[in-house]
Amino acid sequence: MKESLLEILRCPLDKHELELEDAEYDGEEIVEGTLVCPECGERYPIEDGIPNLLPPDMREEAPA
Amino acid sequence: MDETDGRHVAEPTRAGVRDTYDRIATHFASTREYAWPEVEAFVDNHATGRESADSRGGVGVDLGCGNCRHAELLASRAGLECVLGIDVSRGLLETARARADERAFDVELLQADAAALPLADDVVAVGVYVATLHHLPSRESRLRSLDELARVLEPDGRALLSVWSTAHDRFDATEGFDTTVEWTLPGGTTVDRFYHIYAPDEFEADLDASDLRCLEWELSSGNCYATVAGADVE
Repeated sequence: MKESLLEILRCPLDKHELELEDAEYDGEEIVEGTLVCPECGERYPIEDGIPNLLPPDMREEAPA
Repeated sequence: MDETDGRHVAEPTRAGVRDTYDRIATHFASTREYAWPEVEAFVDNHATGRESADSRGGVGVDLGCGNCRHAELLASRAGLECVLGIDVSRGLLETARARADERAFDVELLQADAAALPLADDVVAVGVYVATLHHLPSRESRLRSLDELARVLEPDGRALLSVWSTAHDRFDATEGFDTTVEWTLPGGTTVDRFYHIYAPDEFEADLDASDLRCLEWELSSGNCYATVAGADVE
């Protein structure tokens, strides 16, 4: 994802702005990192360039 | 069926829907090559030429993007500064990434729930939300999703919605109902997918009950289509 996307991304639970932590870049692309909601404390992983912004109860690993 | 996992029964949960599409992602995407004509007509009406009408450009969203065939359409039309492809299934998002690489269009991919959108209020200029709402397994989650779409649409933003309806040839019912529809993978394994099949008047009533404003709607090829706007500016 591009960092400029942070302007419009929000926590899916409380719609608060998100903060980017531990970002690793490939050019302009953030390939790994964590989006953190400072309001509710929820953490959303960026995995191989794609942020996983599912609510926590939908985020668990799919059964094999 | 000698393989215990041979037939996956879709659970009536949103996580179950995610798992179903993760499972069939590659094959499903390979059968979803072309944009729908109804979506092309909508994008031509509402996205094309926005640059001259509004210098801000705006954000386009393909909600329930699958392989991003409709995000591709949004990206190919002038005037949008950014196109998002949102899906619950990481497997489908990988097919979208492959398509975007192959065809060289720009799309930002997000894994998210259509009933809990991770977007700010009033940021979406053009939305395409087709063949997705009917996979949300409760009326409560479908209404929440419609309200979420209303929330993220700009005051003058527009979205195209479609759902499968009882008007389709394959259904006899006249009232809306929950069902599963099989997806057959190469090799013959079937995977059940949850659907809520809408009666047309039920779809209209749910739109009325939501924060969206319905501007026009029609039945086409067994689908209900609605062009909607966000909540009225107070």
